Amino acid sequence: MSITREEIAAFADGQLSPEREAEVAAAVASDPALAEEVAKHRALKAMLQGHFAPIAEEPVPEHMAALLRPEPQPEVVDFAAAKERREEKRKLPSWGWVAGPALAASLAIAIFLPRGSDTPDGYADAQLASVLDQTLVAEQTGSADTRILLSFQNDDAEFCRAFSAPDGGGIACRDDKGWQLEALGEGSEAASTDYRMAGAGDADILAIAQELAQGPALDAEAERKAREAGWR
Amino acid sequence: MLALMPRLRRFAVGLAGNPADGDDLCQMTIERALTNRSKWTEGTRLDSWTYRIMRNIWIDEGRKTTRRHETFVAEEAGAGVGGDGAQESAVELSNVDRAMQKLPEDQREAVLLVMVEGYAYKEAAEIVGCPVGTLNSRLVRGRDALMGMLGEAQ
Repeated sequence: MSITREEIAAFADGQLSPEREAEVAAAVASDPALAEEVAKHRALKAMLQGHFAPIAEEPVPEHMAALLRPEPQPEVVDFAAAKERREEKRKLPSWGWVAGPALAASLAIAIFLPRGSDTPDGYADAQLASVLDQTLVAEQTGSADTRILLSFQNDDAEFCRAFSAPDGGGIACRDDKGWQLEALGEGSEAASTDYRMAGAGDADILAIAQELAQGPALDAEAERKAREAGWR
Repeated sequence: MLALMPRLRRFAVGLAGNPADGDDLCQMTIERALTNRSKWTEGTRLDSWTYRIMRNIWIDEGRKTTRRHETFVAEEAGAGVGGDGAQESAVELSNVDRAMQKLPEDQREAVLLVMVEGYAYKEAAEIVGCPVGTLNSRLVRGRDALMGMLGEAQ
């Protein structure tokens, strides 16, 4: 049986067909010269593998790995994130309308969230609640610190009152827990002046009230009735 | 593809003969593979496809680089004879590297694909684009040459 040099190499590499491999294996077993050839092939292979192995074990250079990373798509991501943020805002039930740019510009959101003794967050404190409970637009005096601008009913048929105060006006609506603050605007009066005028803050609050209101503002008679009913 | 990178680098360094040229070759290969990714057929071996790209780039462009490098090393080695250690700062090629560099390209790639990368003859022949018999004979000639050069080292 003649065995070519190619076949000896292929035998050493385990690349012969099963039948041929058996034949060559028998020949190698009985011929020390062939066995030495096979051993040399295998030693060379082990030497080459050992020589090149460290390269494959090195960390891949960063500039190459970077080529294979998914390309960043900042615009898409940003748009998606921005959209999410916008939708997050929209979900806020009572603040969504504040997003109107003209309003947002002149509104200081959440200037105060009173934490009174038994006042839940986001509700008018006792002092403000007292004014909201008692004061009628027709009766109040011009010198009062906190003035009611108008009263109305919102979409949920709650009574709401827009008020103006030195340290920040706003809108409060009466629910079963108290006067929930729906909007807070800037103070309508500069600390230095004695004159009470409808300032920019009041105008913004009235604009918001218009959006919140279901129907026209209450007239004096309706306001009185509402107060008698406890604004419920 | 990222998982393939260490092996690709190994093949590139083996072909090019030194790490710097090897990494250049590897970089070109990745770029070309990404550009032509639509030509890769789903279900076929990504590694063979990429090796083939690398091998083709090396044949097309790598030769000049290798030749330039060989010239450079030869000059430097000559200048370093009898010098005061300047030779040591030059690129040190091991016996194996030098022997591999002396192999003709077709034998070198056959040796690398089968003996280092562990491809079956048939797979290596597909990467190179030649019949299995041709690959087999290139491999044997390459092996014989290496054994002759590295005989004492073994």
